[in-house]
Amino acid sequence: MSRNAEAALLAGAAVLAALGIAIVTAAVGDRPGAQTALTFVVVALSFGSLHLALRQWAPKASPYLLPLAALITTVGLVEIYRLDPRAASLQRWWLLIAAAFGVATLALLARSGTEWLLRYRYLFLTAAIALFLLPLLPSSWPLGGLEVNGSRLWLQLRLFDTTLMRFQPGEIAKVLLVVFLASYLASRQAVLTTLTRRLGPVSMPEPRQLFPLAAAWGVSLIVLVYQRDLGASLLLLTVFAAMLYAATGRVIYPVVGGGLFLLGTVVAARMFDHVQRRFDAWLRPWDDFADSGFQIGQSLFALGSGSLTGSGLGLGRPDFIPSATTDFVFAAVAEETGLAGSLAIVAAYGLLATVGFGIALRARDPHRKLLAAGLTAVIAIQTILIIGGVIRLLPLTGIALPFMSYGGSALVANMIAVVVLARISHEVAP
Amino acid sequence: MNTPIRRLAFVLLAVFGIIVLDLTYLQVVAGPRYRDDVRNPRLAASRSSTERGPIVTREGVVVAESTAGPGSAQGFVRSYPEGPLYAHAVGYSSLLFGNAALEQEYSRTLSSDSDLTISGIIDALLGREQGAQGIRLTLSHSVQQVARDALAGQTGAVVAIEPSTGEVLALYSSPSFDPSDLLGDSPVGGDALTADPAEPLRDRTTDQILAPGSAFKIVTAAAALERGVANPDTRYPDPVELELPGSTAVIRNADRGPCADGVEVAFATAFRRSCNTVFGQIGMDVGAEGLGEIADAFGFNGEVPFDLPVVASAFATATLLGDAPATAQSAIGQRDVQATPLQMAIVAAAVANNGVVMRPYLVSESFDRDLTILAQTSPLELRRAVSPGTASVLTDLMHDAVESGTGRAARIDGVFVAGKTGTAEVPGSAPHAWFAGFGTSESQAIAVAVVVENGGAAGAAGTGGGVAAPIARRVIAAWLAAG
Repeated sequence: MSRNAEAALLAGAAVLAALGIAIVTAAVGDRPGAQTALTFVVVALSFGSLHLALRQWAPKASPYLLPLAALITTVGLVEIYRLDPRAASLQRWWLLIAAAFGVATLALLARSGTEWLLRYRYLFLTAAIALFLLPLLPSSWPLGGLEVNGSRLWLQLRLFDTTLMRFQPGEIAKVLLVVFLASYLASRQAVLTTLTRRLGPVSMPEPRQLFPLAAAWGVSLIVLVYQRDLGASLLLLTVFAAMLYAATGRVIYPVVGGGLFLLGTVVAARMFDHVQRRFDAWLRPWDDFADSGFQIGQSLFALGSGSLTGSGLGLGRPDFIPSATTDFVFAAVAEETGLAGSLAIVAAYGLLATVGFGIALRARDPHRKLLAAGLTAVIAIQTILIIGGVIRLLPLTGIALPFMSYGGSALVANMIAVVVLARISHEVAP
Repeated sequence: MNTPIRRLAFVLLAVFGIIVLDLTYLQVVAGPRYRDDVRNPRLAASRSSTERGPIVTREGVVVAESTAGPGSAQGFVRSYPEGPLYAHAVGYSSLLFGNAALEQEYSRTLSSDSDLTISGIIDALLGREQGAQGIRLTLSHSVQQVARDALAGQTGAVVAIEPSTGEVLALYSSPSFDPSDLLGDSPVGGDALTADPAEPLRDRTTDQILAPGSAFKIVTAAAALERGVANPDTRYPDPVELELPGSTAVIRNADRGPCADGVEVAFATAFRRSCNTVFGQIGMDVGAEGLGEIADAFGFNGEVPFDLPVVASAFATATLLGDAPATAQSAIGQRDVQATPLQMAIVAAAVANNGVVMRPYLVSESFDRDLTILAQTSPLELRRAVSPGTASVLTDLMHDAVESGTGRAARIDGVFVAGKTGTAEVPGSAPHAWFAGFGTSESQAIAVAVVVENGGAAGAAGTGGGVAAPIARRVIAAWLAAG
């Protein structure tokens, strides 16, 4: 597939966005107007500029990444507009900002490529930890933290008591941590694979080699537990374990990671009421339907009401689902487009993961392989965690569905991840 | 390094596969269960927010309508401008309490839900109207109002039918309720109605059977005439007490005296004066089988095809066979006979219609937004209850009862009114007052059944002639005056 085909598919996504907004508008009996045109322009502009940036700085990059991201973004944008037009207009701004970050990232990597990311890894680790810590700033400061729904994940910028901007720095920190880990693991691959020490029946590498890794893991987890975000800590643990396994081929890392995770959740469930409630809601949603089981119950009603072909865009009642634009956006799409639409979305994510891992397999060196695998794993695991939560396959965790949920921070972070993946695929052949 | 990456990709994609399977199960296999779960708010929302067509009386008075709710793009609010007047006929369409009466029985017609039956799809393909349709009632606003006013808050019911067509002209049950009290998001109003010991939600016209008392003598007389057991001039002994064979029980007349001179009395006189002693004897002469056959022909013991669910009226033929005392008591409308007011109105209408029972109906037509008529109900002959000759004799007997008998309170100057009163004994309580009859002018006719439970305002002194007949008179007058 060529760059031209990519351009055609991106244009298709922009048309899809316009069609979607037009259908939603018509469903409530209005004539499609400015919103339709505006959404078309924003999607075309954002992905068009990313496409041009690829032509300019990474012409050999995989042409599959952007169209898949554009398709998912478009479906999300239409559903957000259907639920909350005001949020959709904010999300359009975020899409432009994310595209700008993507273009900037490509420009930055244009000269020295991903080598550059290898060189400044401790800078990225420091930045990641700092970003994780930012929401702990006092809420009264102009740039301060903010607690929403029992989790302190937000950073808000205020001026004269007016909130100018809200941001979840942790979303960017996740990508930076993957960048650090890829670089670190690539350089320590040999020592981590050689298990010289024995601890009882378990072989392990030199503890000294594990220290920076454990520190990065520990700090981010402590922060996350303190901020009470079960989903993000679960995500990071899984991604760490996945990357360690990819780097070493040693199953011991995912096993230890899984054990740590189970231990962590048991402790978290004991310590935090809201974590305990999430487990109750997952295992026995109908027992306490009026309270803890309400969210997941509404999600299942939406899925069931959607059935095979859905209620039609704008004709369902996804407004009954709590947090329908963010955590539960997938349930909202599944209600209005049915199994046909929901499976198409899952397939798009599956293809995105396949393309990402394909890039990792073909990448030139261990560093690029690990970076590509890590970035792909971050996107795939987030998708699995939140879709799994919404369909009650997993306990519900408050994680954004990549490219689809309302929220600017996640969109920016995921766009950067996809752009870096594209850059790695460009660097395959010398 | 490629091997672990490949394995990692395989594991993650396998989880996507599990998601695909689970989604398919949730949306398709288990989907209907979640969709139809009572806790799914979409069910209630689809009832309350979709537009339902208007319901109007035969004159066009709006009794139910949907108006777009304030400030919402898709919500419609149902309202009942006439309040309690049509509550039992029209019912309600409520978020919390569901649909009732015509709002339930005609829900598909009234609601704008797209119809996924084969015919609905064909209609959609042919471009036929699919939206909310309105329905026109056969009920007359003026007659309905008079029925309510005449009952004057007493517990009871009025049913009026046009004899030649079966169109129901009035259907009022008292006490009534305001359907608006069941709407809205709070169950308080509806719960109060449900808990009310006066049972305002019960439709006493179709959903309650009571002993009809002497009003049932119309059926007994019909059976005697049809079987040739008696004619109007047949003479019967006139005892003060009718002794029942094989039993210590006796049948007495209402005034505890003889029917006429204490020696002999004609069948016609006994009907006019509503003599229990004579009709008890006639009942035994005809026998349970003969009575049951005619009762069945009028519609007892069977399903009444109607726009609302109707409790079957009962004449327990099987238990009466070989039980002469019980047959005698049932022949005067006590013991093993019970009827809805609708059934007694059907009896009176059949007599007025030369013995033919017409299917009663409440909805005459459905129409779309442009008021184009989409469907019309045609009158339907159900069966012949009695011969035209018998119907004619019964008409004379009932006319006499109103002119100079127990039903004098139903008499209207210059109008032909025929009827039969009933005062049904209720053990330990005041009797139910009944009237079943009809009035005709040159161009119009109306059959009426009235019941006032436990004598109404008159209490133990209440009789069919004193309490129910005046109500029937006003209802008959209202219709004939309107025509």
